Amino acid sequence: MIEYLFQRKILIFFLGFLFHASHIQALDFKAYGFIQPESSIYINGEGKHGQDNYNTSLFGKGTFISYLQEGDAKFTISTIGRFDQNDNELRYLDFQKFKYEYYFDDVTLKVGNEIVFWGVNETFNIVDIINQSNLAENISGTKKLGQPMTSISYSQDYGTFDIYLMPYFRERPFSGKEGRPRLLFEVDENSITYESSAKKRKMDFALRYSTVIDDLDIGLSHFYGNNRTPVLSPNPLTLKFDSHYPVLSQTGVDIQATKGPWLYKLETVSAKEGSERHLGAAGGIEYTYYGIRNTQSDLGVIVEYAFDDRNDNPFNNEGIIGLRWSMNDVKSSSLLAGYLFDMRGNSNRFQAEFEQRIKDNLKLFLDLSLNGSIDGTDFTYQFKEDSQITIKVAKYF
Amino acid sequence: MIKFISSICIISLLLATSVFSETDEEKGFRIAKESYESTRGYIDSKSDQIMILIDPKGNEVVREISGKNLENMDPDDGDKSLIFFNKPKDVEGTVMLSHTHVNDDDDQWLYLPALGRVKRISSSNKSGAFMGSEIAFEDFSGLDYRKYNWKYLGEENYEGEMCYKLESYPKYENSGYTKRVGLTDELLRARKIEYYDRKGDLLKTIYFEDHKLYNDAIWFADTFHVVNHQNDNSTIYKWKNRQLNIGLNKKDFEKSSLMRLAD
Repeated sequence: MIEYLFQRKILIFFLGFLFHASHIQALDFKAYGFIQPESSIYINGEGKHGQDNYNTSLFGKGTFISYLQEGDAKFTISTIGRFDQNDNELRYLDFQKFKYEYYFDDVTLKVGNEIVFWGVNETFNIVDIINQSNLAENISGTKKLGQPMTSISYSQDYGTFDIYLMPYFRERPFSGKEGRPRLLFEVDENSITYESSAKKRKMDFALRYSTVIDDLDIGLSHFYGNNRTPVLSPNPLTLKFDSHYPVLSQTGVDIQATKGPWLYKLETVSAKEGSERHLGAAGGIEYTYYGIRNTQSDLGVIVEYAFDDRNDNPFNNEGIIGLRWSMNDVKSSSLLAGYLFDMRGNSNRFQAEFEQRIKDNLKLFLDLSLNGSIDGTDFTYQFKEDSQITIKVAKYF
Repeated sequence: MIKFISSICIISLLLATSVFSETDEEKGFRIAKESYESTRGYIDSKSDQIMILIDPKGNEVVREISGKNLENMDPDDGDKSLIFFNKPKDVEGTVMLSHTHVNDDDDQWLYLPALGRVKRISSSNKSGAFMGSEIAFEDFSGLDYRKYNWKYLGEENYEGEMCYKLESYPKYENSGYTKRVGLTDELLRARKIEYYDRKGDLLKTIYFEDHKLYNDAIWFADTFHVVNHQNDNSTIYKWKNRQLNIGLNKKDFEKSSLMRLAD
């Protein structure tokens, strides 16, 4: 509720600003988006907690961009939303972007909600920290929540400095009772604690320097604020998870070397939570064969590995071998398939995503997620019965 | 008088030999270089581009992008370009930045709006189809004389005009072509190029049409008509609202600006 009011406050502020700006000149804008019905079948039948073996969902995204002050400024709204049949945590609206930017020559000033991505890896994005992950959407955390911020970006020939001030923290959404996959217990939204006394009003801070030197793309970053990942502990009274957000201080480095068809990627972090410091490293190689067998198709091979020196981290020793097949045809058909495995050898998962344009404004997606053998001690064991096939059709407008 | 005529003969013979001493390779290179240089001096440009992809049954699909280009005054380096994807709608909001190089792989970055992420991508796929069309990335820099070896084959009449017939062989090892045979007219405008694939078979022809003189100085073809002879697909690639020398900000063509230009 507080979150809602906060967002509404921003909305009113921005709309006021926009109308103030727009009566000076004609509005130059563009708008686009899509709606996407989805349907999933869980091939192992009913879930561990009695969840339905079938689910439908409606997802959508809309983007509105307005260019102001003769192109020196821009106002953007980008909203995503979902209405899910079974999981009430997947009935939401999120302002991914709701921002006003002003461009000076070397400086960009930005206020509002934004999505910021740091890093180079395909799978293990350990440096990326600005935005909260929506784990109700997927357990790999690639779907994000818009982060309220003020940011200043300063660019020179030798690189770009970005400073982020984040006055408001967004708690991590997890799947609800009827969601699939879901954790053993529900996450109790009324039992959340913070290390910081300012709680979600803590002013989080981040700094990044990024540069390009020939075929190297390099980023150095530091983050200080509420960790986006809470510590979950089961509460024997409520039979739900209590969550605790510690303060995190994390320094990260990400490097990509692009050498012809070869991409070499590395991300490392050194992070401190409380008195404990941990190290993480993740990287890999991507090679693309272009025009395989004299066709227009490209085939990319991706190998990535993630290491973390905390034994209780679910990604402390994980690898992925993936294939990306792009047909480069009129329908933009492509297939991304990956075999994700724990290097200790006790769990593995196969994932595939196929997409193809059916018509000009219509695109088909087929997602497959198959859990293989999973050891009872592994973090992903609780998702073992949640292998699924999902079909999505996006209609663009 | 005879002496005068014979001296004229000798002088013209000398002149002729000095021209004829130019080999076919040198002449091809010279014409290609002059042709390329006639398109320089645009400083920067922007345009809207429409592609119509036509299959053998006549079914049409439309692609729309807009582009910005920045000329590189360094003769040993390539231009920079930005492509904003508008249609098909599922790629709307995607932006591609390229820093082209003459003797090295290009640098390319892609802004992907679904992920809010800028990715450095491999640029080795120069022979790949551009947005499912019959145009390949390498065709856009196809007039850059530095990327090919040249040979002059003679003169040929094309649509009632005298043209130089030039053969060219890509220096770039991953090119999709082994050979190109093109016609360049006396205003140094490319009119038509035939492309031969890696096996040496005729692959496609690009007809350069709707030539327009911009800023009273530079000719650009505003239509590329591409016919693929192997799969019978064709592509009509049109430039609209092309403007040159409009004072674009050089910094827009850097990776750090992709987030400014994107959503």
